[in-house]
Amino acid sequence: MKLWAYVVRRLLLFIPTLIGLTFIVFILSHAGGNNLVLAEYINPRLTGEARTLLIQKLTEEFHLNQPLYIQYFYWLYQVLQGNWGFTTTPIFSGTVITAIELFFPNTAMITVVASVLIWAIGVPLGIYSSVNRDSVGDQVLRVGSFTLYAMPIYLIAVALIIALGVYLKLIPFSGVVNPILVSDVSWYKNGISYPTHIILIDSMLHGAWQVTWDSFLHLILPSLTLALATVASIIRILRASMLEVLEQDFIRLAWSKGIPAKLVYNLHARKNALLPVLTLYGVTVAFLLGGAVVVETVFSYPGIGYWTTQALLNNDVGGIMASTLLFGLILVTANLALDILYAFVDPRIRY
Amino acid sequence: MLHLERMKGEEENREAKKNNESYRSGRLENLKVSVSVFIANKTALAGLLIFIIFIADALIVQFDPQLIGIQSPNLLVPNFQNPIPLPPSPEHPFGTTYPGIDLFDGIVKAIRIDLAYSFFVVAVGASIGAIVGIISAWAGGMMDEIVMRLTDIVFSIPYLILALAVGFILGRSLWHMSIALALTWWPLYARYARSQTLSTKELTFVEAAKAGGVGRGMIMFKHILPNVLPPIFIQISLDLGSIVVIFSTLAFIGFIPNADIPELGYLTSLGLNYVQTAPWAVIFPGLVITVFALAVNLLGDGLRDVIDPRRRS
Amino acid sequence: MSEILQVRELKEQFYTRRGIYKALNGVELKLNRGEVFGLAGESGSGKSTLGLTIMGLLPRNASILSGSVLFDGIDVVAPMRDYASKSNHRFSFRKNERIIKKMNEELEGVRGKKIAMVFQDPMTSLNPVLEVGYQIAETMLFHQSSVLAMRRLARAKAKRADLEEAMKVIKNTNGDETVVERFFEERGLKGLEEQVLSIWRRPDLPDARKEKLILSLHSEKLGAFESKVLKLVQERGSVPSWFSKLPLFGRLAKKVLIKEGYRKAVELLSTLEIPNADKIVRMYPHELSGGMRQRVVIAIALANNPEVVIMDEPTSALDVTVQAQILDLVKHLKTKFNTSFIFISHDLSVLAEVCDRIGIMYGGRLVEVAKTREVFESPAHPYTKLLIAAIPTLEEKQIQEIGGTVPDMRFPPSGCMFHPRCPYAMEVCRQRVPEMVKVSSDHHTACFLYSQGEGST
Repeated sequence: MKLWAYVVRRLLLFIPTLIGLTFIVFILSHAGGNNLVLAEYINPRLTGEARTLLIQKLTEEFHLNQPLYIQYFYWLYQVLQGNWGFTTTPIFSGTVITAIELFFPNTAMITVVASVLIWAIGVPLGIYSSVNRDSVGDQVLRVGSFTLYAMPIYLIAVALIIALGVYLKLIPFSGVVNPILVSDVSWYKNGISYPTHIILIDSMLHGAWQVTWDSFLHLILPSLTLALATVASIIRILRASMLEVLEQDFIRLAWSKGIPAKLVYNLHARKNALLPVLTLYGVTVAFLLGGAVVVETVFSYPGIGYWTTQALLNNDVGGIMASTLLFGLILVTANLALDILYAFVDPRIRY
Repeated sequence: MLHLERMKGEEENREAKKNNESYRSGRLENLKVSVSVFIANKTALAGLLIFIIFIADALIVQFDPQLIGIQSPNLLVPNFQNPIPLPPSPEHPFGTTYPGIDLFDGIVKAIRIDLAYSFFVVAVGASIGAIVGIISAWAGGMMDEIVMRLTDIVFSIPYLILALAVGFILGRSLWHMSIALALTWWPLYARYARSQTLSTKELTFVEAAKAGGVGRGMIMFKHILPNVLPPIFIQISLDLGSIVVIFSTLAFIGFIPNADIPELGYLTSLGLNYVQTAPWAVIFPGLVITVFALAVNLLGDGLRDVIDPRRRS
Repeated sequence: MSEILQVRELKEQFYTRRGIYKALNGVELKLNRGEVFGLAGESGSGKSTLGLTIMGLLPRNASILSGSVLFDGIDVVAPMRDYASKSNHRFSFRKNERIIKKMNEELEGVRGKKIAMVFQDPMTSLNPVLEVGYQIAETMLFHQSSVLAMRRLARAKAKRADLEEAMKVIKNTNGDETVVERFFEERGLKGLEEQVLSIWRRPDLPDARKEKLILSLHSEKLGAFESKVLKLVQERGSVPSWFSKLPLFGRLAKKVLIKEGYRKAVELLSTLEIPNADKIVRMYPHELSGGMRQRVVIAIALANNPEVVIMDEPTSALDVTVQAQILDLVKHLKTKFNTSFIFISHDLSVLAEVCDRIGIMYGGRLVEVAKTREVFESPAHPYTKLLIAAIPTLEEKQIQEIGGTVPDMRFPPSGCMFHPRCPYAMEVCRQRVPEMVKVSSDHHTACFLYSQGEGST
């Protein structure tokens, strides 16, 4: 059962990576000097005497007067306790943990939907492109993905807005739901829906189907933008990978067995061709996360990315550092999951 | 048996000498073939042309802006009398964007800025990264491990967000943004260069050279670098397009503090509020970036066809 | 002796960036039933290309200029040849690829079933992400699903008493095939005989264990639906295409049949002397040694008992002991099933062991074809003579190499391909291409030394 050995090994590697990640965030947040650190952890609503007291308390807690390498442990301790600081932005002010709790579900939603779209569209098209090499369809796909690949995400977003939102007046392109629909609803207060904080799901839980439909519409453009921005490279990589696989000896053997072409492409070739795509998917996830920041900003979609840009614009240290840490955690976890998935898929890796 | 082997060896020597002589003239031949292959690739040629146009723009604005009627090459010129974006017209070939900035003027200036900073990022980040990667792979051992761990750590954060954070700490300006991007970008090159070097190192001809008693430095220069540098160089040229896109994306989401720096992403963001009524305000700047990225990619692909020996057959 | 495969005047070339490689320049070949034909030559002589062309396994830059490959009533290369002769300078890879795809479709019934191929490098011949047993079972699924269904049904129908009786019969007749076959057929348990006998013949198990295994082959329950499906498959001879497209049912049929295929694969591998075959079938190619891998590839080729097997350097990547086993296997199959082989190798000593006739290839043409003995004892063509002289033997002698190198097939020499290197070259050799002429009965060669300059038959 060498597979388990591999999983355990990979999990062990997870820990130093986490430490490295936290270390970088630590360096970043303390590089601006103690004042910046304090700004991150002081509840902005405190003033006067309470504030001064808090500053003293924090200086002690974080050992801000000690050398950096000691400070790291105290900072890490705070992080593990759940004290990630405060954030002050136009869309939300309060503890970072609360902000994450409120905004993360939406980001997760569009990223997941985008991923599903990417695989559902990318894989068939990539295979089609390679199987029908140089056909009209293939050339169109190549030109299309080449162009999409060159376009900055915000341009794709804007193009979609213009095409679908403005000219066809089909789909909304701002926010997560039409505010009128939720103005008088028990499970939606101050822009936050309960219990899952994802309006789409919460509205289904409460049977408010109109809201479900509306929030679904709002979901389309952000997810589609993310998907389009990423699928281009997936198609290119998969096509190249398939073409390489199709030249291999074992594919010739498959042909020599007289099995139907569909099986040769979809079983023998595809299974091998997807491996490099999976390997590179870690980079794709990084791209998706960065893309979510842009997409949420353009569409004013209340997720972590939107909060990050707001923090950037408002010089909110707590927000920036916390979101950096959060995104890092997501990426590292995603890479771990991908590595393990890869071991399941490629029998050679386990030995 | 031994007699035969010696005989064969001498014959091989003679053959090798003959080959060597043709080797040098062969190089010129090779160059001619390369150029002709490149020229035959029409898209690569188009890419090259567009790329040259962009560079020309940057250079002209840098050294003689008056030539095309540009004043104040480092500033966007607003027109508060007429802040609402106007459609393209003879006066404003690309129209205007909020607040009253002529898009043609803005774009021409912005190209220079974007190109300059992106070149910096690529030159510094990629080059340093590549050097680190090659040395790390060549040296092996402890140093290699350290470099690997370092790059791993940097990779654990999505590059856009890392660039954001670093730039934030340094201070929000274009210059700091470039530094932040360079810092985020070098590990990618370190990794890439390292893997290239490692795979070349493993190739048998290096073993052969070592067995022949060639010094380590010589091996590095004559055998490894010529195999490793071309793909890296091509990767750099391809990444130039990516960097410009990322750079403009950072500017788009609001990294820039000043309201009047000419930058393509920033110009796009200015028009965002008017996307329904004045789509050109967003389309033109965005299109310019896309065209540049496309051109660079086509150019890079064309170069790859020429330089990568495997693609030739 | 009847002809089973015929290659006529085959001319083939490959378009590459570096030029046009004229791989085959007029190959004439006749393969008889039950014959092992050796194809010898240096690398670049076109022997592998010939093997692949007979199977129709060509890349999109291959162009068949003229000639035909006749097998099982079909001209394998007809579509490609027709396209090439029509298109001339406007040869498009895309169109050629489409033609190749159509050709693949047409040949589905023949490949794997009547003609099969064993490739050179077992490291790369097997799909690394699929279990070895599956790769063997797959070819059986498509070409003998009715047999698989029949076996499974027989196992479900059989009672222990049947098997006990069968055991007696086996012991009495020492595993006589015809008797055992008749035994099961009489009881309506056709399909069980090969399962039983294969266990009986396994060399790696003690007799008691074998008996136990055989006796366990009874009353293997089958769901009602499954058995209906299997009966349908057995009658129709294959899984009906409309059926296999149905989401659940088609899958079920495939699953049951593949499982049975695994079983048969175990039997097949045991015949090829792989121990612990039941464990091996669940493994992946990278877990096996080179010799085992090659035997898997051979198992795949032989699974459906084809009429012709093309083996492309099957022993070159393996050590000598495995080589010997494979050669033994070829001999065994030839005698038992009357299978025809085309055995491609650059090693004449290997060919000497197992072939009935040998053809020597050079520069994309057959330059000599004769019975094995004659090739070695009285070679006609100068090239053949030099090849034989170059074989290392136990006597001390100076190894003679053949001067010069294999021609660059982009710019083949005029006239006879060998004339630049031939010690007997004459003026006519440079000017004209020599035809195959008869040297003695069943011994032909393409050389002007043997024809009076005019070409006689």
